[in-house]
Amino acid sequence: MIDRKIAVKTVLWAVVGVWVTVSLARFLRGLGATTALSDATPWGLWIAFDVMSGVALAAGGFVIAAVVYIFHLEQFRPFTRPAILTAFLGYVAVAVGLFYDLGIPMHIWYPIIHQQPHSVLFEVAMCVMLYLTVLFLEFCPVILEHSLFDRPLFHRIHAFLKKATIPLVVSGIVLSTLHQSSLGSLFLIAPYRVHPLWYSPIIWILFFVSAVGLGLMTIAAEALFSSWYFGHKLRIDLLGKLGKAASAVLFIYAGLRLGDLALRGSIGHVFDGSRQAFVFLLEMSLAVLLPATLLLVRKVRASAAGLATCSVLTILGMIGYRFNLCIVAFARPEGASYFPTWMEIAVTAGIVAAAALVFIFFVENLNVCDAAHEDRGSRPRRNFDPLSAQLLLPESLAGVRRYSLALVAGAAAALAMLPRDVWRGSLFLRTATEAPRVLAAVVEQDNGAAGAPAYNIRLAGTRHPAGDSGTIQLFLIDGNRDGRLVPFPHRLHADRLGGDASCTVCHHQALPFDQNTPCYRCHRDMYLETDIFDHNSHTRRLGGNSSCVRCHASPAFAKTRASARPCGDCHQDMAVAGALIQPPQGGVRGYAPGYMNAMHGLCVTCHKQKVDREPDRFRRAFAECGTCHRGIDGAELRRMAPYATAAKERSSAAVR
Amino acid sequence: MTVPMGILTDTTLCTGCERCVEACRRENHLGADEPRPWKLRIDDLSSTRYTTIVRRPGNHYVRRLCRHCQEPACVSACIVGALQKTPEGPVIYNPDLCMGCRYCIMSCPYGIPRYDWEALVPRVRKCTMCYARVREGRVPACVEACPERATIFGPRDELIREARRRIEREPDRYVDKIYGETEIGGTSVLYISDIALGFLAYKPDLGEKPLPQLTWAALSKVPSLIVGMGGLMTGLYWIIERRMKLAAQSAAPDAPEGRER
Repeated sequence: MIDRKIAVKTVLWAVVGVWVTVSLARFLRGLGATTALSDATPWGLWIAFDVMSGVALAAGGFVIAAVVYIFHLEQFRPFTRPAILTAFLGYVAVAVGLFYDLGIPMHIWYPIIHQQPHSVLFEVAMCVMLYLTVLFLEFCPVILEHSLFDRPLFHRIHAFLKKATIPLVVSGIVLSTLHQSSLGSLFLIAPYRVHPLWYSPIIWILFFVSAVGLGLMTIAAEALFSSWYFGHKLRIDLLGKLGKAASAVLFIYAGLRLGDLALRGSIGHVFDGSRQAFVFLLEMSLAVLLPATLLLVRKVRASAAGLATCSVLTILGMIGYRFNLCIVAFARPEGASYFPTWMEIAVTAGIVAAAALVFIFFVENLNVCDAAHEDRGSRPRRNFDPLSAQLLLPESLAGVRRYSLALVAGAAAALAMLPRDVWRGSLFLRTATEAPRVLAAVVEQDNGAAGAPAYNIRLAGTRHPAGDSGTIQLFLIDGNRDGRLVPFPHRLHADRLGGDASCTVCHHQALPFDQNTPCYRCHRDMYLETDIFDHNSHTRRLGGNSSCVRCHASPAFAKTRASARPCGDCHQDMAVAGALIQPPQGGVRGYAPGYMNAMHGLCVTCHKQKVDREPDRFRRAFAECGTCHRGIDGAELRRMAPYATAAKERSSAAVR
Repeated sequence: MTVPMGILTDTTLCTGCERCVEACRRENHLGADEPRPWKLRIDDLSSTRYTTIVRRPGNHYVRRLCRHCQEPACVSACIVGALQKTPEGPVIYNPDLCMGCRYCIMSCPYGIPRYDWEALVPRVRKCTMCYARVREGRVPACVEACPERATIFGPRDELIREARRRIEREPDRYVDKIYGETEIGGTSVLYISDIALGFLAYKPDLGEKPLPQLTWAALSKVPSLIVGMGGLMTGLYWIIERRMKLAAQSAAPDAPEGRER
């Protein structure tokens, strides 16, 4: 049987391997290629988990420091060092996660020199930086106790840091209070975007209280992990006490949250049946009230399984709170959604795995968990060969064969999974195609009245009097990346554009950042709306996607403006009999030109004719813009007149 | 003394010709709009489109662009002060300071700032009211390009007067409201319209309170929180430490270990 430790480490190393590859992709290709972030969701998984939840998960550090050093509850001392180590690693993970999330990570230190004290984020950044330093100093004595640092200088530093414990602990608590709560204040600026079930003027208090509750339960989770992994003795009585405290804090949190909702009259949203309400109920009941209630039961508090369940639920609940704020409860424009890409998840998992490996390394090599001998020299001194590579990565952590293999395998697997866009650095939405349908179509070439060859394409299998002149394959492609697949006759496009030499018209094979041209590049009038013709509302009224043929009656022709039925076919009352202004002979086909061009066409033409034919009755000014456009000075209108003409020509060319 | 400038858009005059969009594209060298995974619509605001025309049912056109708030949420959110409200009115962006946290995009009530998701060194992109031109005393490119004079540029106070004049002259034509006059402390980009323009923001009615005040309410408590929490923790430590010492002393006298007496 494989040793438990080896199995865990192998998995962790494999996850780190995946992370390494994805990191390369992130820093070589940018955020757009590797994440699902968008202007609608500027903060995604990395902020919600790595930063928001990371900071909260590391709250155990300041909570236990307060319990042991300030309140002198010496019985909890065994938890201090592991909790401070976890907090330190947690904050390092936050910094690393931010490095991935920031658009310009090399500017990560800019807040130090470019202060903007009105920004909540500035306060958070400064507190996190300072607290990271404090945590490092708090943990430093543990490192200095290692035999490697058995030198007089290090002894003096160790003694000094030990003396400085209380000031460090107090500043750590103050800094934690500030930024744990300020992470909530970040959302105060967006009252119109955060769902009322999550938005609250006291969100910063909620963040702080929930962090304390979470901190207590992460300490329990950590102790349970240590006993499972390292076989450390489990002090279940102490964990039970932590659980009792956590239960009280969770009830305070739930009371504050629900009370605030009730006082502000937002409690009604809980039952409005929306997705947010469902998530809120799930978050509050399963992950806050349930563990808080369970922890009241003595039996639960006395069993490892019960405590483990409660800590997992609490952790889920508090992470869920932060997740929901960033993602579920955050309003977006209609139609925008967010689900992280696997690469975002891989980075998050990789950072956690790396932190876990460092934690294991420290516990195995330093006196982290042995509270009885917290002083130097009490542990047997081990020989350390500074020349061997094991100084950095000892055998226990980075075995040459197994763990390196896991790392490389993970990295290789991730490399194989990287999307093609990331490989090529191309950010064009990929054109989705389905396998060509051979049955697809029969083509008839038809030299229409216009002289240019037109193709009639009809699905094979339907009889046609003209007979079959050859079948072609149709590809189903999503050329406009709008989620609509259309049958695309590739050969006909190639023929029309100039045969084999024409590939580059659409496929820009030589250009690294370009894959192929979307359909609308050439078919400019696809889905085009003008002010007097709204394609979407016609589609809706006529029956959705199956209604194309109501206007584009012949499946033989491409669905363009030119092939649509004239508007007058349906809108027969468009032109009133005997009216002065009549639509052009033959009816307006398909999409109407823009309002301006239509109006100018109808009015200006006649006005000009009047001036030309009856110059004695109509002055020249009758045909000038200012006649109709009152209140606008003539010079301006004359200046724009050429544009109007050009626009008209353009649009009539497009109609043809 | 610099006069705060602004842009007034009268949506009843806009014909949706998008010449402002083209002028903006030329002025800011924005390049073509390409379909990208993060774009909902090709003609939405994006890193290549600082202004756009929103088509509303019933032949209404509303030009969308940065509102250049009087007390901008984005400026208060920016961690390094890369976004600044200038005395001339425009809210401008300094790419050399930006670290890419995107809190400005989170905080904007109108959903204006866009990000260069594509770039390796991405920047926040939004309308700058052609700040360079405004400083030279010229009008922004979009205003210059508007053939219908639907969007005009001038001192903000005068624009408000002009807007009020138009509404008073034709009260049946307009919604009786100057959009941007007072909402969230006022904006430099104003609208008058024949339809309600609530859709331009995430909530139809944003209220009149400037958004930075919301975070400042929490942020201003920081100094007292530092003193209070620090004092409380030090005090607790001192009291408990002293009590434990006293308890040890009073328990100790008769014990054999109490040698220091």
